[in-house]
Parts: sequence; structure tokens; C-alpha cells
Amino acid sequence: MLSFAQVSYRYHGVTDPALTDVTFTVAPGEHVVLLGSNGSGKSTLARLANGLLLPEEGTVSVEGMSTSDRATIRTVRSQVGVIAQDPDNQIVSTTVLDEIAFGPENLGLERDEIITRTTSALEWLGLTGYEERDPSTLSGGEKQRLIIASILAMNPTYLVLDEPTSMLDGAGRAEVRNAINSLHAGGHGILHITHELSFARDADRVLVLQGGRLVFGGTPAELLNNEELLVSFGLKVLPQRVSALPHTINDRLLAALRPVTAPKRWRERGGVFPSLYLNNVSFSYGGSATAGGAGKKRRKKSGGVAESELGGDFRGDFGGDVAGELGFEFEPGAAGAAERVVLKGVNLNIAPGSYTLITGNSGSGKSTLLRILAGLLEPTSGTATFSSGDKVFPSAVGIVFQHPESQLFAQTVEDEIAFGPDNLGLLPSRDVRGTVVREALDAVGLDPRVFFHRSPFSLSGGEMRRVAIASILAMRPTFLLLDEPTAGLDAAGRAFIHTFIEQLVQATAGVVVVSHDVAEFSQRAQAHLLLKDGQLWRL
Amino acid sequence: MALVVPFGQYVPGTSIVHRLDARMKLLVTAAYVFALFAVTGWVGLLLCTALFVGAYLLSKVPLRLVLRGMKPILILLVFTFLANALTFSALPLGEAPLVEEVTSYPLPESIALLGSFGIKPPGVLRGLYFVLRIVLLVSLTSLLTYTTPIVSLTDGLISLMRPLARFKVPTEDIATMFSIALRFIPITAEEAEKIMVAQSARGAVFDKGGPIKRAKAWVPVMIPLFVSLFRRADELACAMETRCYTGQGRTHLRVIEMGEIDLAIGGLSALVLILLGLLL
Repeated sequence: MLSFAQVSYRYHGVTDPALTDVTFTVAPGEHVVLLGSNGSGKSTLARLANGLLLPEEGTVSVEGMSTSDRATIRTVRSQVGVIAQDPDNQIVSTTVLDEIAFGPENLGLERDEIITRTTSALEWLGLTGYEERDPSTLSGGEKQRLIIASILAMNPTYLVLDEPTSMLDGAGRAEVRNAINSLHAGGHGILHITHELSFARDADRVLVLQGGRLVFGGTPAELLNNEELLVSFGLKVLPQRVSALPHTINDRLLAALRPVTAPKRWRERGGVFPSLYLNNVSFSYGGSATAGGAGKKRRKKSGGVAESELGGDFRGDFGGDVAGELGFEFEPGAAGAAERVVLKGVNLNIAPGSYTLITGNSGSGKSTLLRILAGLLEPTSGTATFSSGDKVFPSAVGIVFQHPESQLFAQTVEDEIAFGPDNLGLLPSRDVRGTVVREALDAVGLDPRVFFHRSPFSLSGGEMRRVAIASILAMRPTFLLLDEPTAGLDAAGRAFIHTFIEQLVQATAGVVVVSHDVAEFSQRAQAHLLLKDGQLWRL
Repeated sequence: MALVVPFGQYVPGTSIVHRLDARMKLLVTAAYVFALFAVTGWVGLLLCTALFVGAYLLSKVPLRLVLRGMKPILILLVFTFLANALTFSALPLGEAPLVEEVTSYPLPESIALLGSFGIKPPGVLRGLYFVLRIVLLVSLTSLLTYTTPIVSLTDGLISLMRPLARFKVPTEDIATMFSIALRFIPITAEEAEKIMVAQSARGAVFDKGGPIKRAKAWVPVMIPLFVSLFRRADELACAMETRCYTGQGRTHLRVIEMGEIDLAIGGLSALVLILLGLLL
């Protein structure tokens, strides 16, 4: 039995406890899904499960052995394997085989036993034949399966998975979900921690964590069929409540989107903004002289963007030539990396006030397309222009990259948001600066009085994402491109993003969302395009 | 703004140089470097050159790849040569003191070009000598990385280090560190690139202005990068603890066995090189 008994935990220097009086058990062979919104204490709970953190009050124990007992900690850890969300941060070795052998080697097992365990783990997770592969060449789903395999090789009784699918695309999710279900079928006790309701259906029992307390325990049906409960736990946001979310007034947003940097003639036409066109755009990486030329031009324009133009959807999909794309010193012919065509003859028209969804698999070139639309990357051939004839320039097209909160750096929210407009020379005085920052904060539904002087690093994940979006909005782009804007957000965070986009569209901004999550956006967008084999297909 | 990483350029192949045990290749390389610096004349250096050419021909690595290795050090080579070949003497020409010569041929000490500035024929020869030495050093080490996968290379290095464990050198930890560094250098480089593009999209400019302005421009890249690295380090530590890593009492799945041929080729070449270094 994996058991939490009246467990409380508080991080050093933080007033509010992360977990309060948490009590539950997971039996061997049982499949428990623990649901909770962002910041509910889920990851803390995962780390408590095998003694990576020790409870402040109460006891966490495995088959009667307390995690606080140093004498049995190795046994506890080989009994309870914890898998975290980002596979890249968990892989230690340079080959798949070594990664799986890492745990058994640490346990000091005999070589024969290590071979038996690695072979069986490889087989169980469908990784046979991958032994000598470099983990960095695997897809996201394969990487996470590799981590699960490497935990499995420790022969654990329980597996604790902390948001194992949140960094993965649709295919990766399905792979990991199947893996979890087959491990459960194989008799392992599973504690799957997630904010995604859809996983609850797989479980024998569901727990809900809210504000560090366990607020529900029962069967999946009891929870999933009770909308009232789901809403009160913050696991679901009802449509009517979406529009009632306290924020943004449209004219505020319009003000935030007034393109100060736009060419004069745009403004003279009475606020009617041009469309954004891609004309027969092709793009390829590597080898060719044209690509090199484009690289030089691009560097001049965007001020030292690295030579790479990595598609970046997910690292794995670039296979072995990732180093080349990163601008490593690299000989195209040497490692057999041929020229790779990412886009061929793409035509696209983004009108003001339109909402376009672009979907596609990892590695389909979505990120490359976005960078070209944003004017950060020159196409190898074809043009990216406005209908006014002007070439696309970055300040008119704002781009919110995937996990934009990872670009925050300033000491205050004010400085963070002012960074972009400052660089563009849009803030002639302190007053203007204050106004621009306040408007941007308003537009993302954060109260300027509360957030203006705070450090971005003291905010919650959802708030950080809003500040990051505000920092792009403050440059007053006419078009806004968003790359996986809901990735990693819980129900409330997603609801905000959807409302926000709706309001942008109403404020006549041209919005493009790139995502692999078709279900999340396809009902809302006006146009749905699929990027496949380097071409756009209308759906 | 390419990030130059001094390894990871393995060119797959089946030549004898490719197949030689990585530990032996490391030993031979070390012996070669020793010989290169121990020889004190043109005869020794030319022999070293011949040995390199031999290894290069056996390896079947394309010549342009070997030449490519020279690109980053081109300035160094030119500078080395000019510094030796030219005189900027404050003394009148002819009186400039000569450092020990690498050649015994009688040559004019200096050919004046402009005032005290001139070409020094013995210096030209010495410049060539130094340039050749650097070229050989870089060429052989790049030949090593072209013919050996980086994983084998680190495995070899670690296995060569293993006897040091007896002297309380934490070889297990060093091995793990190597492995983690190899994993995370490309991840970090990629992350840095992503942050740079994102900040460029926010109007950041990295290559304009004076040195202070340029250094400041990197703050918006470095801070998020460090924040992310600390987060990664924390998660990695947890992942390793979960799998009971302590750096002690580890066993090993892979047992590297060295063939007799490897031993013979490696041992013999290392011996020849060391003798060469000592005798010439």
C-alpha cells in the first residue's frame, strides 16, 4: 500500500502550505487518477510519494516503510517510481539502453539481471530495436515511454506519473496513455496526476486536489457526471461563465492594438488595416545557396537571430540533424543531412478580424510557418507581405511563442511589458510607458494596481503566461500569432485564452493559432487549415 | 552567430581508423600530441606529418572535412606566421636579437621593407614550423572526432580514468557528469536559440552598439536561460534520485572488451610516437 496519512507540506519561506492534511492510499494494482488545477499542489504530492520531499506533518509510507526513514529509502524509491512531465529533464544517458540500465546499475544489480530487466522494459514499452538510439532523436512520446521504461526496470510496485502527457502532442499522448493502461493491466499500482479530465475515465478511483486539500474521492462516474462538482473544483469552466470572466473591455483592447509602428498610409486610411499574405512561400533547411542567402538577410533584419530556424514543434521530430538546425558547426554532407524542404508553395491570407487555426503533426513545419508570418524568418522563395505591399515586419505581427512565460526576465511586470515597446521606441515618456503597460495588463485581465510592480517570477504559471502575452500586446501588433497558447493550462486558463482571442478578433486583430489540439480550437476558429507535407489544406 | 561545438561531427565509416578501440585512439592521440611537441626539428615534424597523412588516408575521411577544421583557427595561423616572419624591431635592422633558430641554414637575418619593419627569412621558416604544428594538432584531433562517435569517446575516456578510482578520484561521478553534459549541451543551445528569437520578436537587438550595450542586450536571454537551467537541474536531480543514484556501488551493463588487434595497433603506434618524440 502506498499511503499518505494526514500529510502537510509547506515550501521554505512561503506562508501558504502547498498541501494540507492529505490522506489517501493506492493499493497494488489499483489505478488512481488525481485531478487538480494548476497550482493545486499536484507536483508537490508527486515528490512526496517517494521521499524526494519529506512531509512537514503526517507520514508517507510504502508497504509500511516511511519515506522519512533514511535506512529504507532505497527500497522505497525502487518500489515507487516517479515520472515527471518533461522527459527531456529526466534523461541522463546518451543511448536508450544506457538510460534504462541507469536505475538497475545504481541498485548495484548483477549484469545478467540488468540485461533481463532492460530487455523486458524495452519490450513492455515497445522500444525494442531502439537500444542504441540517441534519446534526443526520439519523439516526445517515445522519450516519455523511455522514462517509463527506465523506471519500470527498477521493478516498482507503484508508478506515480506527474502530468506525463502535458508536453506531448496528440500522438504522444495516446502512446503514453496506452503505456499507462498496459502497466495497470500488468499489475502495477498507478497514481496518475493530471489536470485533464479525459484521463479520469481510465481510472478505478478518482481523487481531486484543490488548494492543497483533497476535496473528492470516488468513482470516475461520480465525478464526471456531476457538472456542478467539476465546476466547483475548477476542473471545468462553463461556457456562460467564460464571457462572465472579469476582464477586458473591448475599446481598451482596441487601444492596445492600435498599431503605432504601422506605416503612415495605413493610419491615413482611417484605421482599416491591410491583410497579411503569404505568396507561394517555400522554405527549406540546409545545403542550398538560396537558404544561406536568406540566412544572411534574416540576420541583418532581426538583429542577430541565431542562424538556426528550428521548427521547434517538438525536439524529437528533427531526428539526427537537430544539431545542424541549431547552427552548430555542421557539414551538410557529412552526417548525411540532405536539404530538408519544410514548406512548398504555401499561400495564405489573414484578414483583419479573422481567426485562423493551423494544425499539423509535430515536425510538419508549423513553427517555421509562424516565424515566416511574423517576419522573423525569410522564406527561401515566395513573399510574406501585407496587402498594402509592405513587406511583413515583426512589430506589426506579434508572436506569442509556445510557453511564452519562459521568456520573462525583468524585475517588475512593468519593465517586462515595457521591454518590447521600449525597444521599438514607442515610449517617449514615463506617462506613456505607464499607460501602455496598464492597457496591456487590462487586456489580459490582470489588475494593473495589483500586478504593476510585482516580480514576474512571483506569479503563478497562468499569470506569468498572461504577462508574457501582455508583453507582446504592448507592442500594438495588428496581427497576433499564438503557438500552442493553451499548452499546460488548466480549465480556467484555457477559458481565459479563448475569451481573449474572441475579443482580439472583435477588436479587428487578425489572429492565427497554431496547435496540435484540434478539439480545443476547431469549433471556435473561422478557418481551419492543416499543414501537411509542406502544404496548407483547408478543412 | 553559430554555436561552435567542438565535437559531435562523427562521420560514419568502416575504415580501420573507425574500428579501432576508442581508448586506443585516445592513447595514440595523446602520444601524437606528445611527439608533436617533443620533436625539435624539421625531420621530426615531417615524420609526424607523414604519420598523420597515413592515418588520414586510412580513415577515408573527405579532405574538405579536415580542412574545415582549420577555419576557426585561421586567424591564429596567420597571426602565428606573421609574428614570426615579420620584425617590428625598435633596434636598427640587423641588430635585432634572434631567438633560437629552428634551422641551421645561413639566411639573411632580415629584409627591410619599411624602416625597422621587415621580413625575417629565418622567421618565415620558424613561422611555417609553428603553423604546421598547429595544423597537425587540430587535424589529428578532428580526425579523432570524425572517426569516433562522441559516446564511444567519452566511454573510452572514462574507462581510461577508471584506475584512478583507487586514488579516490570520483570516476563514477565524472562519468555521469560527462553523460549529462552531452545530453544537455544541445538542449541548452536550442533553448538559448528559442529565447533569442523570442526576444528578437520583442525588438531586442544583439549585435549593435558598444560592448556594454551588447553585453546588456544579453540580459533578457541569460536570465530566462538560467531560470530554465535551474529548473531543469532540479528536475534532473529528482529523476536521478528516483532511480537511486548515489554515485556509489554502481554496476555496469556494458563491459568494454578490447580485441588483441586493437591493443597491438594502439600500443605499437603509441610506442613509435613516443620514441619519435624522444629521439628527434
